[in-house]
Amino acid sequence: MNEYSRDQISKESPNNHNGGISNDDLNELRSLLFGVEPQKLNKIYERLDNPDINAEDISRLLPEAVVRSSMEDKLLGEAMVPAVEEAIQTSVKQDMNVLSEAIFPILAPAIRKAVSTALEAAIQSLNQTLEHSLSPQSFKWRLEAVQTGKSFAEVALLRSLVYRIEQIFLIHRETGLVMQHLVGAMVTAQDPALVSAMLTAIQDFVKDSFNVASDETLETLHFGELTIWIEQGPKAVLAGVIRGNAPQELRSVFQDALEKIHLKFIREIHAFSGDTEPFAASKSYLEPCLQTRYQEQEKKNYAYFWVALGIAGIAFGIWSFFTIRDRMLWRAYVEQLNHQPGIVVINSGRRDGKYFISGMRDPLATDPTTLLKPGHVNPKAVKSNWKSYLSFEPELTVKRAEQLLQPPTTVTLKVDDKGILYATGSAPQKWISEARKLARFIPGVTQFNDENLFNSELQALESYKQQIEAENIFFREGSTELVSGEEAKLQNLVKTLEKLFSSAKSLQKNVMLQIAGHTDNDGTEQINMPLSQARAQAILNYINSQGIQTANFRTIGVGTNKPLRLGSTSEEKKMNRRVSFKVFLTDSKK
Amino acid sequence: MLQKKICMVGAFATGKTSLVARFVTSIFSEQYQTTVGVKIDKKTVNIEGKELNLILWDLHGEDEFQKLRMSYLRGSSGYLLVVDGTRHNTFDKALELQARVENTLGKIPFILVMNKFDLTEEWEIDVNDINQIKAKGWIVINTSAKSGMGVEEVFQTIAKKMLEG
Repeated sequence: MNEYSRDQISKESPNNHNGGISNDDLNELRSLLFGVEPQKLNKIYERLDNPDINAEDISRLLPEAVVRSSMEDKLLGEAMVPAVEEAIQTSVKQDMNVLSEAIFPILAPAIRKAVSTALEAAIQSLNQTLEHSLSPQSFKWRLEAVQTGKSFAEVALLRSLVYRIEQIFLIHRETGLVMQHLVGAMVTAQDPALVSAMLTAIQDFVKDSFNVASDETLETLHFGELTIWIEQGPKAVLAGVIRGNAPQELRSVFQDALEKIHLKFIREIHAFSGDTEPFAASKSYLEPCLQTRYQEQEKKNYAYFWVALGIAGIAFGIWSFFTIRDRMLWRAYVEQLNHQPGIVVINSGRRDGKYFISGMRDPLATDPTTLLKPGHVNPKAVKSNWKSYLSFEPELTVKRAEQLLQPPTTVTLKVDDKGILYATGSAPQKWISEARKLARFIPGVTQFNDENLFNSELQALESYKQQIEAENIFFREGSTELVSGEEAKLQNLVKTLEKLFSSAKSLQKNVMLQIAGHTDNDGTEQINMPLSQARAQAILNYINSQGIQTANFRTIGVGTNKPLRLGSTSEEKKMNRRVSFKVFLTDSKK
Repeated sequence: MLQKKICMVGAFATGKTSLVARFVTSIFSEQYQTTVGVKIDKKTVNIEGKELNLILWDLHGEDEFQKLRMSYLRGSSGYLLVVDGTRHNTFDKALELQARVENTLGKIPFILVMNKFDLTEEWEIDVNDINQIKAKGWIVINTSAKSGMGVEEVFQTIAKKMLEG
């Protein structure tokens, strides 16, 4: 522009000094020719010539220009990559800490994400292997693995693939030489240089053989499970080896990668003479092409399965509950039996759907079957086998003694650990005698102790004696006639006498009854003595009349000598008009 | 890694495939199998301490029924013109092919390989012819794929030439 600037035009004009044309004339001519005011034109020149003003203008327009360019396409971003990379390199060389501090916050999350992605891939691979490891199909795959020499995991992964881009070739279009080559995980790759060359040869062969137009290219090759997609660029070719059926949309990923590589490496591609080193950085552009997709597991409707499983679960729960409860009840029952005296459980358990129990049992011990129902154990589900034995446990020995001795209810039997049988309470003499004889024959009894066992008949005899001696029969004043109501007492007295005689007889004792007559203190002794005698006799007569042997009975009249009361009042005198009794018991001579 | 494409060019049955087989796998077979289309092999050589991958395009031999496909030659860094020394017509064919190749690829390194040198009693190529060729600045090397004579030298020489550019 400088050469066209106003000043220069003025200087360079051949007519400037020789033609006689003034600057004004020239300016006028310029305004006529360009239609622009000279001053404005001068300003424009000034702006163009001044680098500071240019920079200022560009700085105003640059942000908007960058935004617009980014919205339209990615070319600006791609174009800036070398500059940015260089800037970063320069920054690192100058001061590494600046960049380190800047990227530090994103570095750790990025590492975590990378580790997480790697783990996910590993888990997915493991899942695929495990999911198919036990299916019927897996046997077929195992056979295939054996036949092909591949691992089962590899075959399982291949068969569950929708597609996988196994290899990516970046090929120099003119020479057919490989510039970059990427291989997927677990993929066995041939020499990329040979494959690349062969692909180029095939391409050339097809073109030559079928007379196709020069811009037409071979885009797809199929070999069994493998498909090769070929994307042609102006200077480079991108070929992807695909196993399975890849979606056509993936071609756009290939194309995108190829476009970026052309943009980024166009100088290197032009200058390519077989050296692959400059294309090392193209790896990052090609990696997105190495895609893999596995079959998604069908989401089957498992409602019936879950219902069935739920029912089975509930049934199992109920069954478990009852089974556990039964077993607990059974254990409690066995435990209870073990604690029963006279029962020894030797073996117990469950066999053929039934409980069994065997052991030894004293016949006098509790019947085990009687404990089944209280223990909530089904008797039909139990098979018992008991062998009899004699238990020397005190409880059983007592039972055995009771069975043999048949003690009266007034007798309590007890056996201590030493086998001493204690009999306490009262019993007839006869039973006591029998017990003393039999006790020694009772299994488990070593000794019989009846120190605290009393003769019940003797006690009864004593009781009758006391009853009789406590009795007084009252008479009318100066008479042998009984006071009204005394007859009943006499009848009871007769009954008591009968019991006394009966007891005395069993105890081999003789009974002698003394009937003593009494009077009040009224009257003289001459009158009272015979009266008292007569009263005793009257009672004796009555007793005799009731059928009681009175041979050993004796009557005496004591008059006023043994009064019951003082006799100062009529009431006391009434109490003294009586007959009293005294019983004498003596052992009968054999 | 540096890699270069080399094409084996020549009339049919001159021993192109045998030369490649001898060079790559050190094997020679008396059985003749004609090459259909192209066969590609690779061999890594060390040229003055520099590893170089030679991608060898063994092209089918040209005869009256089958013309050489020039498209296969595209991008070659060098080529070997293989002549069967026992058949003079293969020499003529080599000269003809060289002209065509140069017309297609321009001036790139090449070597005239006089193969089957083990069959000297049947040799048909006159020394004068060879001298005339050499006078043109061509490199001529006698080889025998059967004995291995000159094979390594041929590939080493072409590799060096290619690296020299």
